[in-house]
Amino acid sequence: MDRIDFIKTLGTLGAGMFGGAAFLSSCNKLNVAPLNIVNDADIFSNENGVTAYLASIYATLPIEDFIYEPNNGFMTNDGGRWQCFYQTGALDGELVGPYGGTGDGAQGFGFWPYDHIRTANYMLETLPKYKNAFTPQQVNQWMGEAYFCRAYFYFALAKRYGGVPIVKTVQNYPDQSISELQVPRNKEEDVWDFIGSDFDNAYSMLPGTSDRSRANKYVAVAYKSRAMLYAGTIAKYGSQNFVAGEAQQKGFVGIPVSSATKFFQAAYDAAKLVEGNYSLYENEISDKVQNYVDLFLDQNSPENIFVRDYSIASGTAHSWDATMTCRYMTADGLSRSYPTLDFVERWGSLSSAITNPDGTPIRFTDRANIINGLEPRLLATVYFPGDTLRGLTFDIQRGIYKSFSGDAVSELNDNLTSPNDGPDNLILSGSTDQTYNGKRVIGLCGISTNGDDLTRTGFYVRKYINYKAPQSACGLYQSTQSWIDMRYAEVLLNRAEAALELGTSDMKTDALNALNQLRARAGGNQELMSTLTIDTVRNERAKELAFEHHYWWDIRRWRIADQILDNSKFYGLLPYYVADEDKYIFLKQIETFQRVYTFDKRWYYEPLPGGELGKNPNLYPNNPGY
Amino acid sequence: MKNNIIKGILTVSVICLTISCAKLLRVDNYAGPNAAFEGNVIDSVTGQNINTETGGFQIQMEQISYSANPDPYYIPAKPDGTFEDTRIFSGTYRITPTQGAFWPVDTTDVKIKGVTTMNFTVVPYIEIKNFTHRLSGDTLIMDFQIDAPRKNGLPAIIDAWPFVNNTNFVGSGSFISQYTNANKGDPNKNTIDINSTWNDTIASTTYEVRVPGLLSGRTFYARVGVRVNDSYKKFDYSDVIKVDITK
Repeated sequence: MDRIDFIKTLGTLGAGMFGGAAFLSSCNKLNVAPLNIVNDADIFSNENGVTAYLASIYATLPIEDFIYEPNNGFMTNDGGRWQCFYQTGALDGELVGPYGGTGDGAQGFGFWPYDHIRTANYMLETLPKYKNAFTPQQVNQWMGEAYFCRAYFYFALAKRYGGVPIVKTVQNYPDQSISELQVPRNKEEDVWDFIGSDFDNAYSMLPGTSDRSRANKYVAVAYKSRAMLYAGTIAKYGSQNFVAGEAQQKGFVGIPVSSATKFFQAAYDAAKLVEGNYSLYENEISDKVQNYVDLFLDQNSPENIFVRDYSIASGTAHSWDATMTCRYMTADGLSRSYPTLDFVERWGSLSSAITNPDGTPIRFTDRANIINGLEPRLLATVYFPGDTLRGLTFDIQRGIYKSFSGDAVSELNDNLTSPNDGPDNLILSGSTDQTYNGKRVIGLCGISTNGDDLTRTGFYVRKYINYKAPQSACGLYQSTQSWIDMRYAEVLLNRAEAALELGTSDMKTDALNALNQLRARAGGNQELMSTLTIDTVRNERAKELAFEHHYWWDIRRWRIADQILDNSKFYGLLPYYVADEDKYIFLKQIETFQRVYTFDKRWYYEPLPGGELGKNPNLYPNNPGY
Repeated sequence: MKNNIIKGILTVSVICLTISCAKLLRVDNYAGPNAAFEGNVIDSVTGQNINTETGGFQIQMEQISYSANPDPYYIPAKPDGTFEDTRIFSGTYRITPTQGAFWPVDTTDVKIKGVTTMNFTVVPYIEIKNFTHRLSGDTLIMDFQIDAPRKNGLPAIIDAWPFVNNTNFVGSGSFISQYTNANKGDPNKNTIDINSTWNDTIASTTYEVRVPGLLSGRTFYARVGVRVNDSYKKFDYSDVIKVDITK
């Protein structure tokens, strides 16, 4: 048969089959298993199938990583995925960034992952039917992983919405009626209990070790410590500071304060179980700054409990390097989020480092001297003026004072009204090319009067920046450093916080010990029992876990976000060159965009997604204030 | 045979298309949003409209004649303490003034048809009284006392703020930010932290806020606001005053 004939025949066959199907659709069924549909047995009766199925669940875990955006979600598609600066840190005052204010990201993105929860439920129901094909250890491990993943999803839901429907079996449509599928909300406390019990199941079924991005026993309890700590603080502080409403009265949001101790104890016990299985990264004893920098880049760190990996080949590489420092240091992209002085001063006020006792700014010959005496962990977290990266210097300079007299404090509000700030004395610029007497008015790394792709605060993020990558490899979608979603430092902080909330003297000793392990690694001073308070532990958490999407959730669960972000502006540390003295000064001033950040109390819970409320009236009442 | 089958399929398709077109062409006979709802929110102490600003409270509207679980929508306050929405559906609504600086108000079921007017009386958390102002050079000084119509169970009073603007629309949503400095630790901060539940000291204190550096030759509008730590942290306001800064 020649080619034309073949195509004609195909066409005839096709038309015949189509017509035939239309007329014969009510006749006998073909009792042959279709080869193009994957059946349960194809997946759940062999190791490759189960592993592939599990991989599909792990791939959808709501991990808040480099590319997570609080207002857009987990960015699994392209588009804005390169913009790592759309970070939760830019909502909560760790950074100032592209958001116009906290409200831009505080109401979430309609997260509702019940499709992925169903995938986990399907495995939990189906795998036991095929258990004879495997060893009991294999079945236990995989079941444990499914429990772990399900708890991970529910944790991501509970911290956003409070009580959500607990669905732990596979739902089927149209086998089940619509009203059966419209599962009502559970109380917030019940959801946290459920998360705890799923992590417990995972702990009892999983082996003690695993691949770096899969769960084992200790991964499960590490996350349990995080989840139970959230629940404990929501019970304790959410019962004092809340938005009144029907959902709150009915327990869909909020946890009775009487349950706080139960959750704190669970958090503490879970954190303690991790001890001995992971440890803090202490590889380069002689250089604590370098050690802390490498902790986020060393693939073999014993501190890594659960990570997500990326690769260029698989199309998952991110853009942290290209979008968290300025274009001067990179091959492509731009930066828009910058650490605040408020964050930097969590290590202590810098006022005596930049101001003389008489209130005048200290004159610096070299800007780099600003870092003298600061804790190594801080220096490894933030790039200061004068630091270097890839052989280039952060030459941050906001402008030039022809001369500067008087004190620093009148410059604080940056209202450009002090006698020093007249246009004939203070030179600012929107261009890195503008010069005054042969000297650049602003640094190549900022601070510009034009746009926000150079720093607004005098600082850049250093954490996770891959200093070893050559500049040419720092383009968009070229960064492959792993996201460490759970590390041992957090477990110690969970433990210390839970212990202090429990508050007995044994617990306080334990908290101090955990905290001081972190201080020792950070190169900081040891804390004393006499000065240890809950605020010490919270501040330590903010320092240690900065820019890792923790502080945003922390200030929510502590119910302090509405006080910390209350018409708040954040400060920068802005270097100026004083021309007539040939010196530099640093001024504490409101960051150059003067953005105002306010957190409404109702945002302690996100609104339930409107589309889901439309489909399921049993989700009402919506969270208070919406 | 083959041609007949194809013809048959085509015929069926044409019929289907015709039917669906007819559906699309059918006229939507549902009544449009042809009703209006308006009114005042009245301060129970003064009997006048409550001192507020754009969005200073919300009228929460739930159309219970449409659904048992209607999604609420909100009519925002106007600066004069009125509210108005001229494009809503006729029907029965569950209505609640909310998200304002006043004690929670019970819901009311209202049948809305045509232009429906309704006033709500609310009890403010705070009344600003004995409000006076004076100018000292380019500094505006505002003095006031605060009173609480209901003292029992009053949420903690957070702070008092001055607001200055160049129009009479002045409040937390519209003010010149250089004249209100709330930055913690700044010596030029001119908001007053109170952070206390109601007590006799608060009752007997005359508070003073100062706004320095007003540009000369301009006219400004100003007022003070006090807020309490309830669910929404909105401001209770003084009246708006007008000041001319002479050259």
